[in-house]
Amino acid sequence: MLSATEKSILIVDDEEVMREFLSDVLEDFDVDKACDGQEAIDKLKTRTYDLIITDMKMPGISGEEVVQFAKESHPGTKVIVISGYSSLFSVGNTMGYGITAFLAKPFSIKQIRTEVEKSLSAPSGANA
Amino acid sequence: MKPPLMIRNIGLRDKFVVVVSLVIICSMTIIGGYLISRQNEIYREELDNRGRALVANLAYNAEYGVILESEADLEDLLKGIARADDIIYAVICATDGRILADIGDKLYIDATERLPDDGAAVGADRVERHFMVSAGGTEFIEMRYPVQTKRQQISREQLGIVFDAQAGPVEYDLETIGEARVGLTLDNLKREVSRSQTAAILLTFMVVLSAIIIMTAFVRIITQPVKSLVDLTDQISKGDLSKKVAVVHHDEIGLLGESFNRMVESLKKSQLEIEEYNRTLEEKIIERTRELEDAQTQLIQSEKMAGIGQLAAGVAHELNNPLGGILGYAQFALEKMDKKDLDNLTIKDYQAFKRYLRDIETQTRRCKAIVQNLLKFSRSSSKVEFQDININEVLEETLTFTEHQLMMNQISLRREFDPKMPLIQGNPGQLQQVFTNIILNGLHASPSGSELAIYTRYLPPLGEFPGAMEIAFVDQGHGIEEENLKKIFEPFFTTKEVGKGTGLGLSVSYGIIKEHGGEIKVKSKIDEGTTFTVMIPLEKTLSAVDKSKIEP
Repeated sequence: MLSATEKSILIVDDEEVMREFLSDVLEDFDVDKACDGQEAIDKLKTRTYDLIITDMKMPGISGEEVVQFAKESHPGTKVIVISGYSSLFSVGNTMGYGITAFLAKPFSIKQIRTEVEKSLSAPSGANA
Repeated sequence: MKPPLMIRNIGLRDKFVVVVSLVIICSMTIIGGYLISRQNEIYREELDNRGRALVANLAYNAEYGVILESEADLEDLLKGIARADDIIYAVICATDGRILADIGDKLYIDATERLPDDGAAVGADRVERHFMVSAGGTEFIEMRYPVQTKRQQISREQLGIVFDAQAGPVEYDLETIGEARVGLTLDNLKREVSRSQTAAILLTFMVVLSAIIIMTAFVRIITQPVKSLVDLTDQISKGDLSKKVAVVHHDEIGLLGESFNRMVESLKKSQLEIEEYNRTLEEKIIERTRELEDAQTQLIQSEKMAGIGQLAAGVAHELNNPLGGILGYAQFALEKMDKKDLDNLTIKDYQAFKRYLRDIETQTRRCKAIVQNLLKFSRSSSKVEFQDININEVLEETLTFTEHQLMMNQISLRREFDPKMPLIQGNPGQLQQVFTNIILNGLHASPSGSELAIYTRYLPPLGEFPGAMEIAFVDQGHGIEEENLKKIFEPFFTTKEVGKGTGLGLSVSYGIIKEHGGEIKVKSKIDEGTTFTVMIPLEKTLSAVDKSKIEP
């Protein structure tokens, strides 16, 4: 098991309960939270994260744009997309940016832990 | 040309009577007049002949009486004459006018001659007829005949040889020695004529009377059935088809009656058929109306369900978020409990569990609210129930499902709700259906990055204006073509691909808003956007509580 504190994670979701839940589950990591796309981009401008867990559909700037920005500014960042929709388009559109995983809400703790570990252990900069 | 009013108003019978009477009177007058004048003629001729014979006879027999001037002989003669009919008097005069003998009424004998010129000889003989008038003014006829005697012409040579057989035929001269006059009364003639006239008039009168009686009876025979026909027609025209014409005679009237009965019969049949048809028609209409109402209800419901189908993604997202929290915290709590013994739990752990449970509770309530909202929306509104509603709240509930749909399409939503919206009577499920429809239409027409604005406004009553709620949906979509704009509320009109829309959304919406007494309007500009405006009037829908608040 990786030393959690070594890795930084940004959680982007307009749903407070999801942000809180994820930060609770991933409490061993260096967790940061953003409640919408704009806040996420603002944070991404100031620092980098090993992993971004983002919702897709949010008011204003969408998750897609957040992923795009993160990948462009720091291609080594891993991305897990979580969404209430299991739309082929929402996944397909982000695939090009090299997202590591897609999780449809509601997901289990095991699922998110597995995906987070998988993503962080993958070689940095690799395009999935 | 119309006959004068007076004649028009006379009944058939009276017309017949007048015409027939006139004909009878005319013909009787002509025939009677002819017969009477003929009778008069015959009678007069007979009188003439009789008078002529009498006077001639008298004159002949009076020859010796006149020669001898024997009054006694002549009177005997006259007595014989006077026994005959119509004789008023008889006179024998000498040539100088002296009356030798007379019998009869002196008054007539002395009468003056009325028409002296008529004294011309009648026929070939020498009888003269004179029309006379007595002193009393009575007309009569006088026949005159000369009394003659033969006078032998004896020449001087012949004197003395009276009886000389060889002397040849003796020649005679006829010498007038007097005159016989006979007065004939015209009274009998006149009486006869007047009797005939009276008889003729009486006869005419009787014929006319019997003609009238026969006519009346005949006309009654004709008009009675006609009149009963008329009465019957009158009753039928008033709707009574139970009566029938009693056909007694099989003449034209009887045939008319029979055909009339047939007409009434077929009329009755038609009426029954019409009544039957009307009754079944009414039943059919009721049935069809019910079917139509059912179909309409079903249509609204189907359209709503189709709308829910379109909202499914939004609903899923709405539910998945709280479900994610619930699932996550439940698992997380269980995991934590597995890791630590109950004895080792710290206050911190306890507080964490409490927080997880509170979150689970909160999120579960959220799910419940969503499900309830969805149920409220999808509930069949076969019986439209109106209740006090706040339009802003209905819009918020609608947006629960549609907002994420908009977000998904990167369409930003702007709300500008008037906080002073009074309660109105309405059906929240139906109104949600309308609003969802308009929002989804806007969504489908809008490109990513555009905005959909929803405004609500309360317009208070003012004069004739009853006051209304205005709800406007303004999108920045590609707009609606003008030709389509007219058809947008028509059923089954859609610009979407086959299978993408029912084409009923806006027509159903239109019906729902109408049911709320409201109006729905659309304005659109190509490439600029479309504005749907719904107006729901306050009138009669305003609850008493709010009314007191609004009206100063």
